[in-house]
Amino acid sequence: MNLDEEKKLVYKAKKDPEAFGKLYNEYYSKIFAYILKRVANVDAAQDITSETFYKALKNMWRFRWQNIPFSAWLYRIASNEIANFFRKKKRKTVSLEGISEPTSNSNLLEEIIEAQEQLKKHEEFLCLQEKISTLPIKYQEIITLRFFEKKQIKEISEILRKREGTVKSLLHRGLERLRREMDAIN
Amino acid sequence: MKEEDLIRKLEEVSLPAIEIPSHQRNLRLALLNRYFKEKRNWEVFGFFKKAIPATLTMIILMSLVYNFLILPGRNLAKAREISLKNPQIKEWIEKGAIIKDIEIIENKAYVLVQPTSKIGEASVALKPETPRIKEEFFGALAEIDLKDKKVSSIEKIDPVVVALTEKEQERIKEISTNDPEIQKTIPKEAEILKIETVPAPLRLMKKDSSVSVVSESTEEKEVQVIYEYGQKQWESKIDLKKEEVKAVNFLGESKE
Repeated sequence: MNLDEEKKLVYKAKKDPEAFGKLYNEYYSKIFAYILKRVANVDAAQDITSETFYKALKNMWRFRWQNIPFSAWLYRIASNEIANFFRKKKRKTVSLEGISEPTSNSNLLEEIIEAQEQLKKHEEFLCLQEKISTLPIKYQEIITLRFFEKKQIKEISEILRKREGTVKSLLHRGLERLRREMDAIN
Repeated sequence: MKEEDLIRKLEEVSLPAIEIPSHQRNLRLALLNRYFKEKRNWEVFGFFKKAIPATLTMIILMSLVYNFLILPGRNLAKAREISLKNPQIKEWIEKGAIIKDIEIIENKAYVLVQPTSKIGEASVALKPETPRIKEEFFGALAEIDLKDKKVSSIEKIDPVVVALTEKEQERIKEISTNDPEIQKTIPKEAEILKIETVPAPLRLMKKDSSVSVVSESTEEKEVQVIYEYGQKQWESKIDLKKEEVKAVNFLGESKE
């Protein structure tokens, strides 16, 4: 989907649930994957994803198109929700009704167990993520977006609403902090 | 560890590609249910968003209309009503005076009461029985407290009489002598008792937070001349600018 198509869809989504559904289908996986890489916890990732899309839906009426992908807005909401999660050190209460009542509980449970098993297999990632999670939030999000989400500096600056120079400098300092963390353990 | 090694490690690490389709489906369903609730809120908000500027404009317009059209009108009517209840003003009105002008300043109204006849006439309202007694009333300014609904003060206004030059007085005497109407009405032997300008009608002038009584600008410069012969008195009114006699009246006769 190019920017023009996305712009039309976003404006349509303010009035049409089907259009919002399309945006959701387009970005659910990306946002869930980003959150999971940040929190390395399947349950928390589900809750934060729910909260992110709920916030997006709730604030859809005031979204103003600024010629940057809609996903940048979703990433920003997700980053804020993750920051809240870390601040509170506990999982947030999900405000969506119905999420706790899946149409197929057994399926969901199986999928969660399988997801947790899969996550455990990525030991090297989990090890790196653990070190990253000790860094201040501002470094965590920049390192994750740059290396795990493969985002360009420009895209990160759009998501975080920071200048590209600031992003580069934060990335440099974050990597330096992470390198010291790694050295300390080794 | 070198930074390049760390970057390589971060770039090459195998990332989890995990999906939970049931969660995705359930969340979608819950969001769509919520969508309709939120949409109602957006619509309500949208309505108010559109209605607020219109409502504000309406309120401002209404307050402007009330403050500049309705309230002054109501206050003027109120001031008139209060002043008419005052015994002194009531008496003047009964004798032919009128409420000439009203000005409102905050909670106070200023009412100008003036005789209906040309002001100079009142100054020589000589009755046949008491010809030289003057009932002088040139006007009054009443201050009305709109809050307490009462007349706070009444101040009588002195006439503003402009002195005439000797040349003007001479010219008036000349006109008086030569005018056929005067010659017909007033005996030749009658003496001129008094010549004075007729005070101009008054009006109120509001400036900042005060009110003052000023003369109405008038094109005419009217002069009143009083004649006496024996016990009888007459008056003539002369327009000094046009140099013409406007009226000649017999005022009365003293019984002394």
